[in-house]
Amino acid sequence: MPIDWEPIWLTLHLAGITTVLLLLIGVPLAGWLALSRFRLKPVVEALISLPLVLPPSVVGFYLLLAFSPTSGLGAWLLKTVDVQLVFSFEGLVVASLLYSLPFMVHPIQAGLENLPVSWREAAYTLGQSPTRTFWRVLLPNCKPALLTGIVLTFAHTIGEFGLVLMIGGNLPGQTRVASIAIYDEVEQLHFETAHAYAALLLGLSFAILLLVYAINKRVTV
Amino acid sequence: MIDIDVVMPRLFTEGTRDLQVSLSLQPGTLTALIGPSGSGKTTFLRLLAGLENPQSGRISVDGEPWLDTDKRINRPPQQRSIGFVFQDTALFPNLTVLENIEFAAPKGQRDFGQELIRATGLDAFTHTKPAALSGGQRERVALARALVRQPKLLLLDEPFAALDAGSGEQLRQVLLELHKRWGTTTLLVSHHDADVEALADRVVQLVQGRVQTDRLRSELTPVSPVIEPILAITFDEQRQVWVIETATTQLRSTNPVWKQWKVGDMIQVAGTVM
Repeated sequence: MPIDWEPIWLTLHLAGITTVLLLLIGVPLAGWLALSRFRLKPVVEALISLPLVLPPSVVGFYLLLAFSPTSGLGAWLLKTVDVQLVFSFEGLVVASLLYSLPFMVHPIQAGLENLPVSWREAAYTLGQSPTRTFWRVLLPNCKPALLTGIVLTFAHTIGEFGLVLMIGGNLPGQTRVASIAIYDEVEQLHFETAHAYAALLLGLSFAILLLVYAINKRVTV
Repeated sequence: MIDIDVVMPRLFTEGTRDLQVSLSLQPGTLTALIGPSGSGKTTFLRLLAGLENPQSGRISVDGEPWLDTDKRINRPPQQRSIGFVFQDTALFPNLTVLENIEFAAPKGQRDFGQELIRATGLDAFTHTKPAALSGGQRERVALARALVRQPKLLLLDEPFAALDAGSGEQLRQVLLELHKRWGTTTLLVSHHDADVEALADRVVQLVQGRVQTDRLRSELTPVSPVIEPILAITFDEQRQVWVIETATTQLRSTNPVWKQWKVGDMIQVAGTVM
């Protein structure tokens, strides 16, 4: 049976958008967590890390309730911006953002926390603001951590299953990503097609990780 | 004139008394701050830079208050006119020598950065990154970077500690030359008597966070150095400080150079001045 490439492209599309958006959100958030002395920081850290310990179906269930057009948030989104997050690609993106957030934030936060404090202090004594110090000194010296965050986020989004199934279901061209397609093909006893999807994901994941390790070796500041 | 009267926080400093330091620095002078490890020298520099907060006190520079705990004035480091050379130089590894210096240069004063590069003999390394420089060259970059904003107060935290004799001498010459040329009021923390003898107009000795002696260089008399073998060396993870024990003394420092020492090495535990 010929393989349908749509779930593969949809998966890569979802992983790409999620990674770019999380890079924009995760970098400032990681910077704030690494450098702030805010008293309630542990609460924020615990909230960000929740997806690491919760089963995807739990996260999916609560997001399904929150995004449902009958809930306050879902109804408001539908009414004001005409967006329905349940069983839609947009919903998958939002769910992936929340679910993959720790995979972007944690490596960058750890990278920033491991930099010598004297670099930051030197920049301050040279009259530089914390913001300029962050973008010009601290972040450029965290390239390996940044790369790790990007790759983990991308790879984790590619492998999502439970959350995607709960929020998006199995709509071809909209929410039927590769992991769902594998499940669907196995259910229909199309093991050959399932095997083709699985082998593609395996090869893709391996290639990504290989690339990261190769680049990480070459990244020097 | 820089007037300082502060009660310092007790970080690594030993003893139980208040750590009160009162000092006035004449414009254009180079004052050496000496004393055993753990006496509060580095804490004092950090406090002047605004990197630590005192329990109470006042710092004023040319009548301008940088710190006044009674009036709740405490300027952040960015608003104090200081240059700080850190023990580990704290050069930014992603930037070249020129970029490190220009990073700090105010707009319209890039030429001064070039002048400092020439004055510190770094012309050949303008586009070199810190990792490719020797210890002495890194110290010179840190010095040039600290001076590029033409600060009112230059703070040097053991700049010679990690250097061999030749590099140390070269850096002393550069420092002296820069000091003569621009006359920046300077406070130098050092364990090396050679630095004090070659550079300082005045020597202030801190012991357990208090000024023990305060003399002009001309008043100093040499005393034989006390050199003892290291009996134990440990790293206090909690305080991030190296601890060296000899037969008579316990020394502490955050200086990363200390990791080079090992049991049996001979070190100087008391100075040759005073």
